[in-house]
Amino acid sequence: MKRAFHAAVLAALTLGLPGAALADTIKVGVVAPYSGPFAIYGKQFQEAIETYVAQHGTTAGEHEIEFIYKDVGGPNPDQARSLAQELLIRDQVDYLAGFTFTPNALAIAPLIEQSQTPTVIFNAATSSINRESDFYLRTSYTLWQVSAPLAEWAYDQGMRSVAITVTDYGPGIDAENAFKAAFEAKGGEVVDTIRMPLSTTDFTPFIQRVRDAAPDAVFTFLPGGPPTFTYTKTFNENGLAEAGITFLGTAETEEVNLQGLGDAAIGLTTAYHYSGAHESEANDAFKAKLTELFPDAVANWASVGAYDGTHLIYQMVAAAGSDGPAAVEAALGLEWESPRGPVTMDPETRTVVQNVYIREVERDAETGLLINAEKGVIATVGDLGWDK
Amino acid sequence: MNTTMKSWLPPLALLALAVVLYFALPYNLAFLTRILIMAVLVLSLDLVLGFAGIATLGQAAFYGAGAYAAGLFAIHVWADPVAGLLVAGLAGAALAFVSGLIVLRTHGLTLIMLTIAVASICHEIANKARDVTGGADGLRGIRMEPVLGLWQFDFIGKTGFWYALTVLAVVFVLLTLIARSPFGLSLRGIHESPERMTAIGVSVYWRRVTAYTLGGGIAGLAGALSAQVTQLVSLESFSFTLSAEALIMLILGGTGRLYGAVLGTLVFMWVHHWAAANDPFNWLFVIGGLVLAVVFFLPRGIIAIPTALKRLGGRHAGT
Repeated sequence: MKRAFHAAVLAALTLGLPGAALADTIKVGVVAPYSGPFAIYGKQFQEAIETYVAQHGTTAGEHEIEFIYKDVGGPNPDQARSLAQELLIRDQVDYLAGFTFTPNALAIAPLIEQSQTPTVIFNAATSSINRESDFYLRTSYTLWQVSAPLAEWAYDQGMRSVAITVTDYGPGIDAENAFKAAFEAKGGEVVDTIRMPLSTTDFTPFIQRVRDAAPDAVFTFLPGGPPTFTYTKTFNENGLAEAGITFLGTAETEEVNLQGLGDAAIGLTTAYHYSGAHESEANDAFKAKLTELFPDAVANWASVGAYDGTHLIYQMVAAAGSDGPAAVEAALGLEWESPRGPVTMDPETRTVVQNVYIREVERDAETGLLINAEKGVIATVGDLGWDK
Repeated sequence: MNTTMKSWLPPLALLALAVVLYFALPYNLAFLTRILIMAVLVLSLDLVLGFAGIATLGQAAFYGAGAYAAGLFAIHVWADPVAGLLVAGLAGAALAFVSGLIVLRTHGLTLIMLTIAVASICHEIANKARDVTGGADGLRGIRMEPVLGLWQFDFIGKTGFWYALTVLAVVFVLLTLIARSPFGLSLRGIHESPERMTAIGVSVYWRRVTAYTLGGGIAGLAGALSAQVTQLVSLESFSFTLSAEALIMLILGGTGRLYGAVLGTLVFMWVHHWAAANDPFNWLFVIGGLVLAVVFFLPRGIIAIPTALKRLGGRHAGT
């Protein structure tokens, strides 16, 4: 019995060895939600990764790259940690990527510290994640990065009083703090701050309160999907735009949900790092390849986070192979042209430094589709939440 | 003596299986540890639902209370795992006792709604108290000392596995003893007919509060294990999904039998893991199919398979 087992192990080893010696494959574990209510993130990530691979091939430097997808379902740190552990120990991955939710990203900090695995965050936007380990690199954005420039821009446009309405959960409160701090530092006045329960379906009372306060603008932060539909609809029905109250937002008009918002969205002002309508060669090439591979796909911030994350991984693999610390070293200060515009991996915060664009929703004359038309740009913004 | 031996056979077989799995799947220890932790939670639900007949969909409240208690205790007071475990057990039990005093005065749907409400309130408190709990970002900074000063929590998860397995075994033995005690028998009586138990002079209310409190304490232990092994506690530990999944696992395995609870957890999580690994995009279909199949063909759970097979065989012999 024991001898048979040993023979089997030996056979497996000898069969496995030549393969291992010939093809040097670097594995990347992508932890994200692929099922359930948040499956859209996983879909966007996977499509973007495959688009990048289709454009650049499966080799970086002298190494083959292989992606392994693991479904974490939703915000679930226990699951995220055990999946990461499985990827690191059983699948022997050299890089981790993905991570939509902050707790999931935070849960793996002790693991990647120990295994020295570079981990590229495609989405999770809380500044403090990167403080937990030097192996985190973020290709998305942070809430401070987009909210604070928006506040400064609003002041420069002559807006002096703002009401803030945010959904009452972590990211909403971060956005509120960022906007408020930046707007008050400029000398503006926040006349009202309303935290709306996560399960709100009727925004009329909040919108009415804003209307009564009659500020120059209302800054809002909402989770994507149905709340955004209802909020913008209520915003229009109550005539806030006519009353001279400007809508200021961030991710509310992101591309996947934008067409669903309908005409109610026209004129909404947002500050964000990626617009599908960004005019550049890199963006056109990215979108063309994406729709060639996946005809129904829509590029949004999540796809671009994953696309740039994949680029970063390719660069790290080419420079350092499977050597974690050297790979991170190679990534710091790296500059490249992303579909969103020029970006730099900040050596201090390990979050990309990027342009933040002021956009307005318009209907494109040619296609008849709603787009986030870029009206202004605040150049090279780093992670402003790092010291907060 | 013979029957006692026989009744210990299934749990011993499960223990042996755990040890075999440890050696057979050395790369999946984190996953196996999660099964063990979940089994502790499902066992606590079995005590409350399977034995005492208290229909609850809010067991996560005590799991979460235990998880946060263990996490906060480790960060601010003492990072010893066993001490944290005890504190978490007490926290879960205390919350169960206080909420049970009110909740258990009701029955049926009202009871179910109130148990959900308790978990939601805890969820919201943890969400609001960002300074203490970290809110939606999760409670971080948990660094555990070695278990009993001897075994450091390691990267592969060996310590975590044996630690969780030990806690599970202790909880299992404890619940077996409780189930056989006069108290356990009176719980079964209450489950069958509360009116009759009242008629023979048993204080139904206080027995149920006691069972609920014990169940809360054990769920707290499960929460503590999760906090100590993952080193992070998130709001999801109070989530409705967790309560509901625990209930599905219990029904899958079969209520009222302790090894049914463990078996149900094992099967559910295994199928979950296997299906999600093979098709991360559509695996929920497999889980749905499994639950439907069990509910239709084995309404008493997986532990009823031998009986069902015997009945099938018997019918054949008869014809």
